[in-house]
Amino acid sequence: MILIGEDLNIMSNAISQAIKERNAQPIRECVEGQTGNGVDYLDLNVGPQKKDPAPTIEWLVNTVQGFTDLPLCLDTTNVVAMEAGLKLCKKKALINSASGARESMETVMPLSKKYSSGLVLSVINDAGLPSDADERAASILESLEYANELGIENEDIWIDPVLMPVGVDQRQILSYMEFIQMIPDLAPGAKSVCGLSNLSYSAPKGLRGLLNRTFLVIITRYGQDAAIVSGFDEELIRLNRGEMPEIVDLIHRAMDEEDMDISTLSTKEQEYVKTTQVLMGKTLYSNSWLEV
Amino acid sequence: MALKGAEIMKKLPKTNCKECGCATCFAFAMKLATGGVKLDDCPYLDPEVKAELKGAMAPPIKLVTIGTGQNAVVIGEEEVMFRHEKTFFHEPGIAVLISDRESESSIDEKIARVKNLRFERVGNVLKINLLALSNDSGDGGRFETLVKKAYETTDFPFILISEDTDILFSAAAMCADRRPLVYPITSENVSASIPKLKELGVPAGVKGDSLDEVISVTTQLKDAGVEESVIDPGSKNMLDGIRDQTLIRRAALKKGFRPLGYPTMAFPCNMYQDKYEEVLATSALMTKYAGIVVTSLTEKDFIFPLLVHRFNIYSDPRRPMTVEEKVYEVSQPDENSPILISTNYALDFFIVSGAIEEANIPAFLCIKDTGGIGVLAAWTSGKFTGEAIAEFLKKYDVENKVKHRKLIIPGVAKKLKDELEEELPSWEILLGPSEASDIPKFLSEEWKV
Amino acid sequence: MFQAPLEKYPVNIREVILGLGEKAKKIGGENTFPLHFFEGFLPNPPGLGLEVLDMQPENWPTWALDPFEDVVSDPVGWAKKGVEEYGAEILCLRLLSTDPMGMDVAPEEAAKTVRKVVDSLNIPLIVLGTGAEDKDSKVLTEVARECSGKNLLLGPALKGNYQEIAKAALEHGHAIVAQASMDANLTKELNIALCKFFPPERIVVDPTSSALGYGMEYTFSIIESIKQFGLVDKDNMMQMPIFADIGIECWRTKEAKESKDQGVLWEATTGMTFLLAGANLVVLRHPEALRLIKNMISN
Repeated sequence: MILIGEDLNIMSNAISQAIKERNAQPIRECVEGQTGNGVDYLDLNVGPQKKDPAPTIEWLVNTVQGFTDLPLCLDTTNVVAMEAGLKLCKKKALINSASGARESMETVMPLSKKYSSGLVLSVINDAGLPSDADERAASILESLEYANELGIENEDIWIDPVLMPVGVDQRQILSYMEFIQMIPDLAPGAKSVCGLSNLSYSAPKGLRGLLNRTFLVIITRYGQDAAIVSGFDEELIRLNRGEMPEIVDLIHRAMDEEDMDISTLSTKEQEYVKTTQVLMGKTLYSNSWLEV
Repeated sequence: MALKGAEIMKKLPKTNCKECGCATCFAFAMKLATGGVKLDDCPYLDPEVKAELKGAMAPPIKLVTIGTGQNAVVIGEEEVMFRHEKTFFHEPGIAVLISDRESESSIDEKIARVKNLRFERVGNVLKINLLALSNDSGDGGRFETLVKKAYETTDFPFILISEDTDILFSAAAMCADRRPLVYPITSENVSASIPKLKELGVPAGVKGDSLDEVISVTTQLKDAGVEESVIDPGSKNMLDGIRDQTLIRRAALKKGFRPLGYPTMAFPCNMYQDKYEEVLATSALMTKYAGIVVTSLTEKDFIFPLLVHRFNIYSDPRRPMTVEEKVYEVSQPDENSPILISTNYALDFFIVSGAIEEANIPAFLCIKDTGGIGVLAAWTSGKFTGEAIAEFLKKYDVENKVKHRKLIIPGVAKKLKDELEEELPSWEILLGPSEASDIPKFLSEEWKV
Repeated sequence: MFQAPLEKYPVNIREVILGLGEKAKKIGGENTFPLHFFEGFLPNPPGLGLEVLDMQPENWPTWALDPFEDVVSDPVGWAKKGVEEYGAEILCLRLLSTDPMGMDVAPEEAAKTVRKVVDSLNIPLIVLGTGAEDKDSKVLTEVARECSGKNLLLGPALKGNYQEIAKAALEHGHAIVAQASMDANLTKELNIALCKFFPPERIVVDPTSSALGYGMEYTFSIIESIKQFGLVDKDNMMQMPIFADIGIECWRTKEAKESKDQGVLWEATTGMTFLLAGANLVVLRHPEALRLIKNMISN
């Protein structure tokens, strides 16, 4: 799976401070930390940027590109900022994101065409978030039609089915997995992507990584192409690189509901199995899912 | 929709020929499932397969329309047993019963009262939807007088009730252009009723003493081409009504049993003498699946709880409920009272305003329209930023409501504090508690003019 | 011949016993959905508790006050009237006087009031704090100790204070109300934490109530889903009986203050709605609302 590192994010105090002060050092640390671990893209999240949209993102893009050759994923709802950033990207950039809402299609999609960038396209539309796989399919078909008519090919589109926190709506996770498997037939040539950390948004801090990593393995099996992840989760990156095949195999077997005596497994293995069961909807999620 | 996209896909040619206008057969199947294209658009479907798909794709519970135009009552096409599984789609119609045995003045007064039963709540109009006109007298002339009066002086859709089939359809003919529901259609009168139902094009109110009887009637109607029926299973009380309506809905949704695939109607007006009991039964039957409920009550104190109840149960759990954007005055604030600001997500509003009331400290609660989403999400999407809030304060002239210049913002919105300090340099921005339940403590300890 | 699509579930909601002796009441125990007598077994009718305050009510409309006007300054008198005149079989004593933002009465004093009620009436008693975590912890611990062995139902036990309250309940032989805020996942989490040391058959869950017109549908759907998780998905951390404390919510609405009919119906409709969702125990304020619901659900 293609990994997009998410840690250059203004929600982090250190990063937002660095951006405010135009201090390159913390940015460098964040970039090199993620690239060192081995991500494929870097996401630059500058938020809604109501004030001075262009200068901030320009500084950030230039600074980041001074420290890495990786392609960038630009993450902002502000169209002016987005365009300013796209102008400066040396490699083919990824726009994060457009949705099926009319305003988004009309203002963001043309940028993808203009700058020949990739486009993350979410299933959200003017009616909000679709509630099941079929509704997601209907929504994405419409936005794809619009995009294709603008001259944007499926190959440049990264479909985001929108991952909800497991603690907010566990059933949506099942809809998500169902939808991922439809994508190759629904939108031949398009990729799929998600903000993986959303999954664990409401979970206890120390357990978020476990949820994220388990889900990564599950959706890889279902054919997902990319994910926006924490570039500092080394175990996740190793899992993704195939360096932990026994864990991957264990998760697959739990997905298939194979008979296994969980008490013979190590603590870490038990945790992965229990987490898989929750994510597959076999038991109701609670923040203490590991304790049952 | 009854059939999922993936299931439809199995029956398609899978050649991706694109002649239907879609890029792939899968795309066509998806659009079909959500109503974007028609089965006929695919030129390569075997007629048998087409018929099979058409039948399977029909919603398990028929959509029935009573009345016409903007007052039409549309019921049916429900998909779930529990609203949290998705949502309930079509709120039940509430009908007020008027008997032709009543005096003319009593009827006039009742009609006037029913017309007045209209209320506004969070931007929605809640009202009575139908008049159930009953031929209790058995006299055709009296019934026609009642129906004529209702037809000429109101624009409500009707349920016409008479045990005499001739009288029933004679009255129906008088107001057929308003698509009344004719009731009861039973195993005794169904054969005679079919030609008239077809001629007038009106929906049938089917009554049976058992579900077997109901099934026999709906089957005969369907076979004869009368598509729209509403089922009265003849429940005698609230508990029976819950049982009957639950079993009918289950049969339709879980078993795909078409003869019971219709919305239901209940008559709490006939079940209880006591008014309180009638109200409670009416609300319970609406909660438990009724498509139409018929009540005898017209007093606001009895009807208003029912209207709000229906509104609540039929709200879509997937969409956040919102409240009106404005500056709410809680407990009569004055120029020294604190100002708090939050989003228009209804649940948050109720919790925050409730907490302020509990604190017993009068305050202004500024509620900004964010489309119903909460503070952090609204900030990220630009709806609850410093700029947006500054605009709000200007629009509602908040400055002139108070002598001080302090604004309390939700504790989770730390980034907002900096933005607001920049936008509103003459204001002091106070970060309130992260939990609404701490508002009383915050206001009593931290708020000083 | 049409075969009614009946459904059978292999598990039961747990039965919780309130109070002692011949007047003790059981709640829960059912193996089917609420009022589905036609397809399952519901051994216990829902418990209907009548609310009693430990202080004079403030801001109550006259029609809410009327039934107890002559006794509202005396919790024991109020409790007695509720039982003897209005036929309540369960009472709920709300220790409002302990509110730290209000009278802030000391735990010992509040506990003595509870003791007086317990001694004067042998009837199942729910005892509720105000929701102020720290204070409730002290108050309910003291109540548990003072009324040791009386099998009260104490609450609310919240994420932040359940340990102290449950410990006291365990030691002194009481049941507890575990309250989580409108969220099935949080309800499960609290139950898991409690069941590490507290018997599950002495837990009643409260997803937090709301009144008609003020969020009722949120509570309704949470209660329905908790019931489903327990009965249909067989999640044994979701098989506790469900509690709905609605009198206080309904009577603070402006609608309940407009007329007696509307007020009583506001409360009764809310209560009935939650019973239909799966509530096994409901606390009501107005005796007429209680009587009304009781009559309508008796089979």
